[in-house]
Amino acid sequence: MDVSSSDPRTTGSVDWPSDWLRATLGLLALRALSAGPSYGYAIISELERHGFGAIKGGTLYPLLSRYEAAGLVTTEWRAGDGGPGRKYFALTDQGRAELTRLCADWRRFADTSTGYLDPERPTKETPA
Amino acid sequence: MMQTTSDKKWFDQLVMELRLRQVHGSAIGDTVASARELLGDTGQQAEEAFGPARDYAAALDLPAAPEHDWIRRALWPSLLGLLAFLLFNQAVVSWTRSELLLVSPAQAALLATPVVLVACLPLYLDAVVRRIWVGMAIAAACAASGLLSAVVTPTDQAEAWLATDPLPWLVGSALVMVALSIMNTVRSSRPGNDDDITDPLSGAVDSAGTGARFLVQVTHWLFPLLALAMLGLALALR
Repeated sequence: MDVSSSDPRTTGSVDWPSDWLRATLGLLALRALSAGPSYGYAIISELERHGFGAIKGGTLYPLLSRYEAAGLVTTEWRAGDGGPGRKYFALTDQGRAELTRLCADWRRFADTSTGYLDPERPTKETPA
Repeated sequence: MMQTTSDKKWFDQLVMELRLRQVHGSAIGDTVASARELLGDTGQQAEEAFGPARDYAAALDLPAAPEHDWIRRALWPSLLGLLAFLLFNQAVVSWTRSELLLVSPAQAALLATPVVLVACLPLYLDAVVRRIWVGMAIAAACAASGLLSAVVTPTDQAEAWLATDPLPWLVGSALVMVALSIMNTVRSSRPGNDDDITDPLSGAVDSAGTGARFLVQVTHWLFPLLALAMLGLALALR
């Protein structure tokens, strides 16, 4: 699959490998909540808008449920405007700390991976 | 939100799967409401958004009551009720005919069959719930053993393993059945019952209407009602 041509800022039907998304969805969901409490569809829309493709409820909700059990998020039901209620998810202090830690780890991992994958990097290195 | 037939089936299955996992009623209500919320936003079918209900229930990994808590709360009382009902049936015929209660080993074994089948329910509960024919086969086995036990009832005292006055058995088993029915009625009508599926926003119990509530009460009083019918039948055929 060619993912090099995809622009992460475009809305889209980007089809990232499912194992990449599985590995990063937790971090992305925490980031989506960092601006304030949000609900299922808003989180899914936010991730789709930023180029991660359409995340299914069956993938997102179990993740949020585990985060709630782990104390990273809290939930609150709020009455909808004339419609049904909405379940809002909000980061706890522990969730914010976890997001900060994961973001730093992710940057290091991404830099390491990018450096290694750089085509300009000599591929044959003599071991010291 | 209007619910399609396939969505209704999916939600019914989701509730059943969560029940099988001993998830509390309030958590089931929360799960159902949040799934409906998302479907209302996306316009998707439940299966499309969440995958198979069984897999989704497993993936949620919701907090649940201890795995075998239902055995203590539901199975043992049901088993005791069944045993009392079977004893009542044996005693009522002898009592209406002013005879001794006669029991043979074969009859005792046949009477024990439904009790053993119900006692082993935890071993095959999933199969009973998911495949209707398994439940029907077990019900048929219980009914057949009940009918056969009547066939092998001793006709004279010489054949009997046990010969006793039926009245204490009749009164004792009736009292046990009524006490269990009262206990179940009180437990199910108590507010904040863990079994109740509640709406997370209003806290209202998700009930299927007066008919369903009446049916639940009838279920609680099933053994005493059947026992009364048996008493009427025995008096009529005396």
